[in-house]
Amino acid sequence: MSYVPGQPVTAVVQRIEIHKLRQGDNLILGFSIGGGIDQDPAQNPFSEDKTDKGIYVTRVTEGGPAEVAGLQIGDKIMQVNGWDMTMVTHDQARKRLTKRNEEVVRLLVTRQSLQKAVQQSMMS
Amino acid sequence: MPAELAQEQSPSNQTSIAMMQEPQEMVEETVTVEEDPGTPTSHVSIVTSEDGTTRRTETKVTKMVKTVTTRTVRQVPLGPDGLPSMDGSSPMGSYTDSIDRRYMKNGERYITPQASSTLTRSYNSYNDSYPDSHEGQYRPYIGHDGYGDLADNYGSLSRGVNYRPRYAYVPGNSYRPEDGSFTLPSRRDNYGPIAQPQVPVGSNVDLNRSQPERFQPEPYGLEDDNRSLGVDDEGYELDPDYSTVNRRTSAGVPERGRPHKGRGYDDPIETEMVEERIPYLHGGYAAPLAQPERGSMASIDRLGKRSPSIDSIRKDPRWRDPDLPEVIAMLSHPIDPVKSNAAAYLQHLCYENDKIKKDVRHLKGIPILVGLLDHPKPEVHRKACGALRNISYGKDNENKVAIKNCDGIPALIRLLRKTNDMEVRELITGTLWNLSSYEPLKMVIINHGLQTLTNEVIIPHSGWESEPNEDSKPRDAEWTTVFKNTSGCLRNVSSDGAEARRRLRECDGLVDALLHALQSAVGKKDTDNKSVENCVCIMRNLSYHVHKEVPGADKYQELDASQTMSTGGSQKKKKDDAGCFGGKKAKGKKNGDLDRNFDTLDLPKRSETAKGFELLYQPDVVRLYLSILTESQNFNTLEAAAGALQNLSAGNWTWSTYIRATVRKERGLPVLVELLQSDSDKVVRAVSIALRNLSMDRRNKDLIGSYAMGELVRNLPSRQQRSSKNLEEDTVVAVLNTIHEIITDSSENARSLIQTQGIQKLVAISKSSQSPRETKAASHVLQMIWSYKELRNALQKDGWNKSHFQSVSAAPKGSKGTAGRSGYDDSTLPLVDKSQDNEKSGSRDMIPMDELGPDGYSTIDHRDKERKYKTSDNTGDASEKEPLKG
Repeated sequence: MSYVPGQPVTAVVQRIEIHKLRQGDNLILGFSIGGGIDQDPAQNPFSEDKTDKGIYVTRVTEGGPAEVAGLQIGDKIMQVNGWDMTMVTHDQARKRLTKRNEEVVRLLVTRQSLQKAVQQSMMS
Repeated sequence: MPAELAQEQSPSNQTSIAMMQEPQEMVEETVTVEEDPGTPTSHVSIVTSEDGTTRRTETKVTKMVKTVTTRTVRQVPLGPDGLPSMDGSSPMGSYTDSIDRRYMKNGERYITPQASSTLTRSYNSYNDSYPDSHEGQYRPYIGHDGYGDLADNYGSLSRGVNYRPRYAYVPGNSYRPEDGSFTLPSRRDNYGPIAQPQVPVGSNVDLNRSQPERFQPEPYGLEDDNRSLGVDDEGYELDPDYSTVNRRTSAGVPERGRPHKGRGYDDPIETEMVEERIPYLHGGYAAPLAQPERGSMASIDRLGKRSPSIDSIRKDPRWRDPDLPEVIAMLSHPIDPVKSNAAAYLQHLCYENDKIKKDVRHLKGIPILVGLLDHPKPEVHRKACGALRNISYGKDNENKVAIKNCDGIPALIRLLRKTNDMEVRELITGTLWNLSSYEPLKMVIINHGLQTLTNEVIIPHSGWESEPNEDSKPRDAEWTTVFKNTSGCLRNVSSDGAEARRRLRECDGLVDALLHALQSAVGKKDTDNKSVENCVCIMRNLSYHVHKEVPGADKYQELDASQTMSTGGSQKKKKDDAGCFGGKKAKGKKNGDLDRNFDTLDLPKRSETAKGFELLYQPDVVRLYLSILTESQNFNTLEAAAGALQNLSAGNWTWSTYIRATVRKERGLPVLVELLQSDSDKVVRAVSIALRNLSMDRRNKDLIGSYAMGELVRNLPSRQQRSSKNLEEDTVVAVLNTIHEIITDSSENARSLIQTQGIQKLVAISKSSQSPRETKAASHVLQMIWSYKELRNALQKDGWNKSHFQSVSAAPKGSKGTAGRSGYDDSTLPLVDKSQDNEKSGSRDMIPMDELGPDGYSTIDHRDKERKYKTSDNTGDASEKEPLKG
């Protein structure tokens, strides 16, 4: 998942559809994110490439909507409802996920195990 | 009893009931045999042995013997030396052939090492006795004999005991290796002496090689690995038992009875068993039972290169069982059946074999297995889970830690959420049960899995509905294995301390569902099963210290301020620290009056029905626990139910008062008294402490004193009485403490103690018991009796005098143990304080719940108290007690 500026990014992704949970006046997703182009990528424990400024999932609450949908800690979010998340600031990412009028968010996420699985199956 | 039972691991049961019946962990072994539909003949059997507390769960896969279609995984083109030319990823390298010794005798494994022929890939079926063969290659891991034996499949998981040592296979055994298991081509080759061409069905040429003696009709077709290595030639002996080896050498794989096509080699890896392949290309060796497991061949081919032995070139390919690094490498093989077979084989290898488990860990196999849990294919994740379950079981906790370190726990929970397959769910929950027996992991399991386990397993199987439909009648609980495993896991984690308890109490729907399940069990009169036991234990654990830990508890604290003795403030504080014991004592003394008022209890008004943790202490649960106590025959369940009542009736808050009164009103006291007759130590202990706590209520104390005194005294050991039970020290101490509590503040009870011939036993214990704790407790009681001046006449008439009652065993070194305590001026402090002090230490001790015995809590306190007493006795005599007592 390394990024070469100017080249399209390719990755094996998984589609995850999260149905937000309504708690009173709030819609909760059940996960936390880290990263962004305005953040320090060296601090990211989940990324392979330490210059990757993408948005990563840093925490998933147990039993929450994100976990139920299959989101795992360490996943990198590539798109949210069609909007790119690979070149956004942290705040932009947060906003795209937490729109009040959206009850469902569809993400494309990638993780290393997906990549490996595909490589393996391609080997055979 | 130790609070926790080590589960799965160590059979030692360390369940200890900490203070108030701490949760126990259980390890339980269950044996289940199931057939795995996916693999032709393997079933998973789990052995269960339960000793009540330990539970081990290991899954072993046994191969069923039956005709099996051999699966052959086939392989990749072999290189010149027979090694697959594919990447060398496959773990198996060329093998030196293994020996055929086995074939020496029918079913006997006897291997004489033989030169390995080149088969580089021959694998021995792992029936082969491993030890012998393979020269060179290592088999250390697999070395154990056990493995080889499996007659059945090579690689199959059958780890049946019987497999081991020998092959008793008869042709027709179907074992073949690989069904489902990892297939390593079994090779049966015997070099040399025995060659057996299998039943030659059309064997070709190779049969020449085979030695006549071993002729074993091949039950299945042979697999044949048609890859011809060219080297193999020696006849393989077909071992009926062996799974066939796929041989790579395609040469002459004998076909077993099956006219296979002579394929050359390289059969595509098939996912399903395929029939054997052509027997051989060259030379013909009878292909041993080759049954290639699916995918195995391929994997084998990829195994690391092994150098063929020197003389292997001309000999039959020798197959050997893959060794552990190879198996682990196979787990990463691109072909899915290889992965699943490797995992199944690993499960088999790990069964009851701690060394292999450790080796797997060292070879970094555990992260790979955890990774396979996310694999979409059911066979893969099912087998991986089975392997992890076996690995997680055992005394060695490092494996559990390793599983946790590679995020195994979230992975298991994820899989649980995704899968609908009951077997997989059983394996997942079984693994979690195993992991939960290790203390450092308990909180991790709670963090990752509590709500999910509750939502996915507990709530559905309990029959509880959060939004009950008015029309439908309440559903019954389903006592499934998954529920049992999950309840066992929660039982273990609930013993982990205050934070764990808080989380479980606050988990949405958990308490409700458990109570519903228990109600349904009582209704169906099915209270002896393990799931019920686990549920009651969880309830007991969650009831522990409920008066201190639930939110809003302080609202209900009894107001003792007016009644506290001199050290009101400190006492109150102490009471809070001390918890049950101190509070109990204080209340017992002072709140007797208060309790009287509770005849007309006014339960706090409820605006809505109780839910969640509030259900823990509603008086309705009393009826439930009493029903369980009446009906169940399972000692652990009885102990837990009594423990729950003990926990609930301890403490100083309003609810405990209600509970104590409710027990009386629901006619629970006779039930408890009757259980004092139980043969089980832990039951007697739990019941007596429950009675002790219950007697904080004045009316209860009177009733208990009149009805229970006889039973309590009967439980005390006595040399003369033949019928006296032989109880453990902790139990005796608990009974003594209960007696003490009952006679405190009640001279009628003291009188009835005298009438039941208790003095004799007490004096005997205090004078001659081996245990210092018993002695102290007995002396304590005696001193209390003596403090009733009005009874002294009666005592003296019976021949007792002051010296019997005053003697306190001297120096229990224990007394010095309470550092800082000695500073206490016992003679002046109210008894309560003393006990509070004890309480504190007791509390301290209690925190590590494991260590407390069921009555550890009170016992420790008592012990401290005793010590204190001692001190005071030293300074003054028992008469000083009177003012305190008063």
